[in-house]
Amino acid sequence: MTNNTASGELSARRTWLAVLARASLSELEAKRVLLGELPALQQVRPPEVGMLMLRGRVGGTGNPFNLGEASVVRCAVRLGNGALGVAYALGRDKRRAELAALFDALLQDPAWHDELQRTLIEPLQAQQAQARDSRRREVAPSKVEFFTLVRGDA
Amino acid sequence: MSTTTSLAPGLLDEVHETQSAFRALLDALARPGQVNTLAPALPGVALGGAMARLLLTLCDEETPVWWQNADPDLQHWLRFHTGATVAPRPAMASFALLTDVGSAPALADFAAGSAKSPEFSSTLVIELPSLQGGTQTQWRGPGIQEQRRLALPGLSADFWTQWQVNHAAFPQGVDIIFTCAEQLVGLPRTTRVSPPEGV
Repeated sequence: MTNNTASGELSARRTWLAVLARASLSELEAKRVLLGELPALQQVRPPEVGMLMLRGRVGGTGNPFNLGEASVVRCAVRLGNGALGVAYALGRDKRRAELAALFDALLQDPAWHDELQRTLIEPLQAQQAQARDSRRREVAPSKVEFFTLVRGDA
Repeated sequence: MSTTTSLAPGLLDEVHETQSAFRALLDALARPGQVNTLAPALPGVALGGAMARLLLTLCDEETPVWWQNADPDLQHWLRFHTGATVAPRPAMASFALLTDVGSAPALADFAAGSAKSPEFSSTLVIELPSLQGGTQTQWRGPGIQEQRRLALPGLSADFWTQWQVNHAAFPQGVDIIFTCAEQLVGLPRTTRVSPPEGV
């Protein structure tokens, strides 16, 4: 039972971390302004830029191969004595990672969780799903079906 | 969750602070016995300033660290900031942290490297209560013009006998960095230590 709740919390956190990682700076900054005064922010790991190897699948067997590297920025912060908020985001925008980590810290705080979930995560999640969906519909017509040609010498 | 609520920050200006720590370490090992001063302790980290900064500078995911006093908070802190794992035995450690050298394992228990790869040896970081006030010793070797006298306290009675064995095993053997709060003293395996003349 405890295990189930723990894994439920984990997957909920995974969901909001994914949403925050895809959110734009302006979206996060707009929400941050509305929050007003917060406890002192401690940077446990100041925002830092690094590289991440992206892997793809190639060939008929789907063997993994290294597609290339992408810049990624990560950050860990704590508000007052609260929980540790972490963030990873593609790109080199340090402020974006810092804000995402700040929201992760707040979302782990029961006093903030419900409100932020309702006013930040859910709208962003819907918006991101919609963007993904419209992009998918845009490229769908360009899909090419490949057929294997079998030599007809039977 | 308890470990993440107590996780202390690392270096705030990582690039410059690790460079100055590395420089202090180079100086300490190039001039054995000379006292070098690094920066103060890090907030929330229960280690001396020199020791904590050296760890953040030197460790990464390929350097297992052996802890004489295994403190889960500190181990998690180092893992979070550097990726360094915990070495289960002294012989598997790249770095060994000793805070009570009187009851520490023998120097021979740590990795000495092989004749082919002497660099795969352990480096011991030993925190002392002070860098003076112990038994007088006389240090000679590369990096020391004539001789240097030090009186490190708190070492076990046969420590310097063990050190002579370690020195004789050159090129194999361990290197030691003594730290005390923000100060550090290097003792590389090339240094000969003996009681002062006339004693």
